[in-house]
Amino acid sequence: MTPTYQQCRGVLPLSLLTGLGFMAMGCGANKGGPTEITYWTGWSGHEFGIQQGLVDQFNRTHPGIHVRLISQFGNSGYQKVRIAFAGDATPDLMSTVWADELADYAQRGVLTPLDDYLARSKRDFDKEYVPALRSSLRVDGKIYALAVTTDTSFIVFNKQIFREVGLDPNRPPTTPDELLRASKACTNTRPDGGLIRYGFRPSDLRTWAHVFGGDWYDPSTKRITANDPHNVEALKWMCAFNSFLDPRRAEAFQATFGNEKTTSGPFFVGKIAMWQTGEWAGEYLKRYGPNVEYGYFPLPAPPGGRPNSSYVNGSVFVIPKASSHKKEAWEFLNWLTQEEPVRIFCSTIGNVPPLVSVGEAPRFKNDPLFRFAVGLSRGKTGFGPPGISMWSTYSSEISRAEEKATIGGEDPKAVLDDLQKRMEKEFAETNEDLGRG
Amino acid sequence: MVGKHLLLASIGLLFLFPFYWLVSTALKPDTQIFQMPPAWVPNPLMWENYPKALTDIPFFLYALNTLKICTCSVCGTVLASSLVAYSLAKIRWPGRNLVFYSLVATMILPAQVTMIPSFMIFKWLGWIGTMLPLTVPPFLGGAFSIFLLRQFFMTIPNELSDAARIDGCDEFGIYWRIVMPLAKTGIVTVGLFAFIGSWNDFLGPLLYLNDERTYTLSIGLQKFVSQHGAEWGKLMAASSLMAMPIVVLFFFAQRVFVKGIVMTGSKE
Amino acid sequence: MSRLSHHRSNSAGERRALRNGLLFASPWLIGLTVFGLYPILSSLYYSLCSYDGIREPRWIGLHNYHKMFFEDELFYKALYNTLYMVVLGVPLSILCGLSVALLLNQKVKGIAVYRTIYYLPSVVPVVASSILWLWLLNPDIGLINVGLQHLGIKNPPTWLGDPVWSKPALLMMGIWGVGGGMVIYLAALQNVSETLYEAASLDGAGSMLKFRNVTLPMITPVILFNLITSLIGTFQYFTEAYVMTSGGPQDSTTFYALRLFNSAFQDFHLGYASAMAWVLFILTLVCALVVFKSSLRWVYYDGEVK
Repeated sequence: MTPTYQQCRGVLPLSLLTGLGFMAMGCGANKGGPTEITYWTGWSGHEFGIQQGLVDQFNRTHPGIHVRLISQFGNSGYQKVRIAFAGDATPDLMSTVWADELADYAQRGVLTPLDDYLARSKRDFDKEYVPALRSSLRVDGKIYALAVTTDTSFIVFNKQIFREVGLDPNRPPTTPDELLRASKACTNTRPDGGLIRYGFRPSDLRTWAHVFGGDWYDPSTKRITANDPHNVEALKWMCAFNSFLDPRRAEAFQATFGNEKTTSGPFFVGKIAMWQTGEWAGEYLKRYGPNVEYGYFPLPAPPGGRPNSSYVNGSVFVIPKASSHKKEAWEFLNWLTQEEPVRIFCSTIGNVPPLVSVGEAPRFKNDPLFRFAVGLSRGKTGFGPPGISMWSTYSSEISRAEEKATIGGEDPKAVLDDLQKRMEKEFAETNEDLGRG
Repeated sequence: MVGKHLLLASIGLLFLFPFYWLVSTALKPDTQIFQMPPAWVPNPLMWENYPKALTDIPFFLYALNTLKICTCSVCGTVLASSLVAYSLAKIRWPGRNLVFYSLVATMILPAQVTMIPSFMIFKWLGWIGTMLPLTVPPFLGGAFSIFLLRQFFMTIPNELSDAARIDGCDEFGIYWRIVMPLAKTGIVTVGLFAFIGSWNDFLGPLLYLNDERTYTLSIGLQKFVSQHGAEWGKLMAASSLMAMPIVVLFFFAQRVFVKGIVMTGSKE
Repeated sequence: MSRLSHHRSNSAGERRALRNGLLFASPWLIGLTVFGLYPILSSLYYSLCSYDGIREPRWIGLHNYHKMFFEDELFYKALYNTLYMVVLGVPLSILCGLSVALLLNQKVKGIAVYRTIYYLPSVVPVVASSILWLWLLNPDIGLINVGLQHLGIKNPPTWLGDPVWSKPALLMMGIWGVGGGMVIYLAALQNVSETLYEAASLDGAGSMLKFRNVTLPMITPVILFNLITSLIGTFQYFTEAYVMTSGGPQDSTTFYALRLFNSAFQDFHLGYASAMAWVLFILTLVCALVVFKSSLRWVYYDGEVK
């Protein structure tokens, strides 16, 4: 061997040393003592701070367990969570899973069912949690996740604009047709056709289909029901807005909207008269639109539909099956989902609590908007993702179908029939994969 | 001369715009950031976004971590890639073309599909949760750098190396003493890109690092992005700070281009 | 060019060349063996399976490929979108990169500052530049349309809101990213020996001829590099669409890589995504090989070892 290659070969051992050095720094010393569990949260910023506070409190009061909180940053953690499951590198507890994906993971056997734990800790899931969550946290009859927040949907409207166009601010729309007419009345265009203001523009076909009485999946027959007549009705209604609101112009107009978390949010500056939103808008209204005289009403349902509906999504808490500290993870999760921690979390970030009892707390009772939202959450018509494991795909395909009809101008029935065919196929394939026949 | 400056400056203004936007957004109060029409000059000037960006997250710790990874990346990439490029450009051996085209081929397969198996390999090695998946692979060469250096090496005429060979110099000596110095601009370019690539790398640290004490800047910045929106001012402030080392590095690196020693030792 | 090496073609010399070649190339070869082969072969295997990333892959033969070509309504759209960007975007980036580099290759005072300024957009993170562009491209009050209206164009396009104009808008955005390519061209331009220019001057060549006969040929190796890497990169065009448009409006910015990503990480169809990856691989490889073949005619290597 010629001596000049020593320089080359010296590089490899050096890199190994560096690597070992970093590895040593990365490993903590193995402490005998409290069992350490890792908890991944998708919250960051403000919400993360509150979680950390709760974690610290738990660690103080439970000396046998030490919870390590790691933030996995919302959307960007998406890939990481998938790969963690794929590579069996999951933590002991995670809230980085969306309700939308729960069935996907549960049916693939990577989550721990919580029914036994709940029973042993003497928790009554059905009594404590609001109705919508009772179904969305369950997959195939077993409970796979808990939640510390929930969502409600409703419409906030500008009373001043209502008065201006001759609508009664004390009698907001109660049916989809009334909403359509009110929206038309509030819409104002320039001579050249450009928009100055529009009343309302529906979005999220998933929710509106449910409001109209339709479903996307029938658990009793185990069939996809994308082209349910109610769904078609809902889509037709959404397209009806195009008669006075040119979709291209509306899209262009929407592109000029400021962020709704600032004073230039469209509702605050009068660009829209009605705003489909959730309970978090309460904070924004106070902060960014103090001069707007507003009211609110639930999503209007047609006769035969489901009044007072809300779509419930959000982060849910799961214990991966691969965890070797399930007992400790459960102890923490159990603690975290008790009334007091839930109340602290929800009041600070402005979400509706998923526990029925917490809705009674003064913070929620004294604020009229929140009282209204809590009332909605207790209703039986809230709904979450159906417990099928292709819901993520299905969901995004519904959005595409909606776009095809409302902006692309295609026939609603045809669009949904096509969706039905494709999703049936997808469903069949997924079931075959999962061995569910 | 004036004409040249005018041309350079006017197009330059266009190119300066995004960075100006970055910094001005960093100095705007959150309410002004999405204003339509946008505010050109922030009012008031939120200077505090900068110190806040530095303290809300352990900025210097993350910067140090990122620097560690970048150093390994630059050293490893430059050394390993130049060695491999040399073999592809300056040594005539069977299989050389096969290796070269395989190299290019590995650049073509999208990373999304190899992500999980790659993750598994690191898991088997026990490297998940450490910096090793980020610091070790550069020492095995990067396809992009190897390809670039190969092109550079192939523009260097062989007279000098042939003469050295006759004088009894061995291959490594030729590589180290003749070819490398002549490819200085290429080496600097490769080093620069390796640094920038590592510095801005997000997916790698995201997947492989689990301990917050080892996090890098790119991940740290995500702390300003939460489920209901982002703390834009601080995010932009942190982003602009994160970009500064690259700008400085680039400024000094490309001056080497100007002073680069060309074959016959010509000047500026 | 040295002919000496040819005369030393005894087997010892050849053996030594082979040994040296392998030795110098060993870092990459080791890397390929340890870290590269398994993922590559796995992805090929997955493409023939139904694999959700969690459970064991289930062999289904060529079903994924069949689905891709005959049943996926988005496949051809995604392919078209990506090819659009490749055909228009690659030449654009080569031209712009080279032009900017030539512009910045001059002996002007403060050229270092100018070069840094032209490089700046490349260091602005995608998140930040997305917001900037969303504002610039705003149909009503964005700078671009305001400018167009001043020029007398009554109804300028709605850019990212219009399926016809969304891709051109993205192409426009790409021009600002020339910094990277520019650096490489600059490095090559700086490497061109002065003596060549002097010789050309002695022969009476003006700057146009010098450019055509000295500069251009000498930087063709690097043009080839940028051409290939730009080609490969554009076939994988993804980030801007992921961050800004999510594939809309009406699938006009659903690029191949985005569709692939969604299949893998949203739909749990890693097998299908792998199949898409291999189809892309073959397509890109063919294009690259065509470029390499043509390069024999227009690329000049001063120091090639044949």
